[in-house]
Amino acid sequence: MIEALKNLRQHLLTGVSYAIPFIACGGIMIAAGIAFVPMGVDGPEFSNAPIPKLINDIGSAAFKLLLPVLAGYIAYAIAGRPGLVPGFIGGYLSGDIHAGFLGAIFIGLIAGWIVNQIKLIPVPKYIKPIMPILIIPIVSSTIVGVLMLKVLGMPIASLMSGLGEWLKGMQTGNAVVLAMVLGAMIAFDMGGPVNKAAFFFGSALIEQEQYSVMGACAAAICTPPLGMGLASLLRRQLWKEEEREAGIAALTMGMIGITEGAIPFAAADPVRVIPCIMLGSMVASTIAMLGGVGDHAPHGGPIVLPVVDHRLMYIVAIIAGTLVTALAITFLKSLKKSTAIEDHP
Amino acid sequence: MKIVAITTCPTGIAHTYMAAEQLEKAARTLGHQIKVETQGAMGIENRLTSQDIQAAEVVLFAAAIEIEEQERFDGKKMVKIGIQEAIKDPVAVLQRITH
Repeated sequence: MIEALKNLRQHLLTGVSYAIPFIACGGIMIAAGIAFVPMGVDGPEFSNAPIPKLINDIGSAAFKLLLPVLAGYIAYAIAGRPGLVPGFIGGYLSGDIHAGFLGAIFIGLIAGWIVNQIKLIPVPKYIKPIMPILIIPIVSSTIVGVLMLKVLGMPIASLMSGLGEWLKGMQTGNAVVLAMVLGAMIAFDMGGPVNKAAFFFGSALIEQEQYSVMGACAAAICTPPLGMGLASLLRRQLWKEEEREAGIAALTMGMIGITEGAIPFAAADPVRVIPCIMLGSMVASTIAMLGGVGDHAPHGGPIVLPVVDHRLMYIVAIIAGTLVTALAITFLKSLKKSTAIEDHP
Repeated sequence: MKIVAITTCPTGIAHTYMAAEQLEKAARTLGHQIKVETQGAMGIENRLTSQDIQAAEVVLFAAAIEIEEQERFDGKKMVKIGIQEAIKDPVAVLQRITH
């Protein structure tokens, strides 16, 4: 059972790893295109701006490919090369009927599973060569297509639009809860699967034109390394030599939005460090969410500032989260120091 | 002992390279020879050649996602671990697989 879940996670993450650059390309190029044109009643007004339109169109192309790539490479992770055709087709259809990333993830898994089942069917020797180039693509795509268009697509699409409506009309209380959960997840394993789940939720919503979830994640992503880096500078005597060195590296990694910079600290003292970075990230994500921060890129930290909405609040969120992290860990570390002295007078 | 390894993680910009570095460092400490191929967002880097693979006594995968071109290692002794393990305790990992 655990093995099966581990495999499932690996398949999903493989798909995500191929999809992330598409989200980055689409999100940033569309944001850059829109930034230079006036906002009309039905969205951005491109009629007098050929170059922004061009940039916007290229970004849109990346977004159109995102769901096929996501579903295609999930299926590829499960079934190898024959998984690509039904995966890509399933992902494309998911976009077509507005079932979004949920539909793509779902159909990618199903496509891979179907291909594996077809592979198990024993066939005569003379049919074997045409299995991968003819039989598997056509049969698996037919099943995937019928499932997507006639069975699963509609319920998933309404689930997605429900999610969109919920995010749009979210009350302050719910927004705070969502932001705190996301912040805690982002910091919890610093780039591991829990972090990636929150990160991908935010990233995938960029394609649905919901930028606030990624905004909250983006602020939370950078505060663990920034906070630990700052703490290592605040009271040098609390830290070992290699931790002080790691502190400088952590600050740099924090600036470019790499949560992993906090790992050396967390590995050395997980019981104290992990709660502190979770607290700091929760503060950062909550302030960002309430401040209306939106992020158009699937990445966090100060480096994405140019593609962030409500930049001032974004900076406030990062500074607050960093300070909370640094002060909390300094406090806990000093406690340890004084008890240690009492223990060994 | 001669070891070849592959590291890979979902985003492919941090963990992949941290794990590679940790494994190389641990191998130096323990006196093993290691070559680490990274499969990050840049694709395959420091590619393991067929000579590398042939000479290696054990193949280590530190991976959170699927390994690319895994068929290169058919017939070799392969050990698979999570990428976090390689970052947190590379020495223990190498000691275990070289036993």
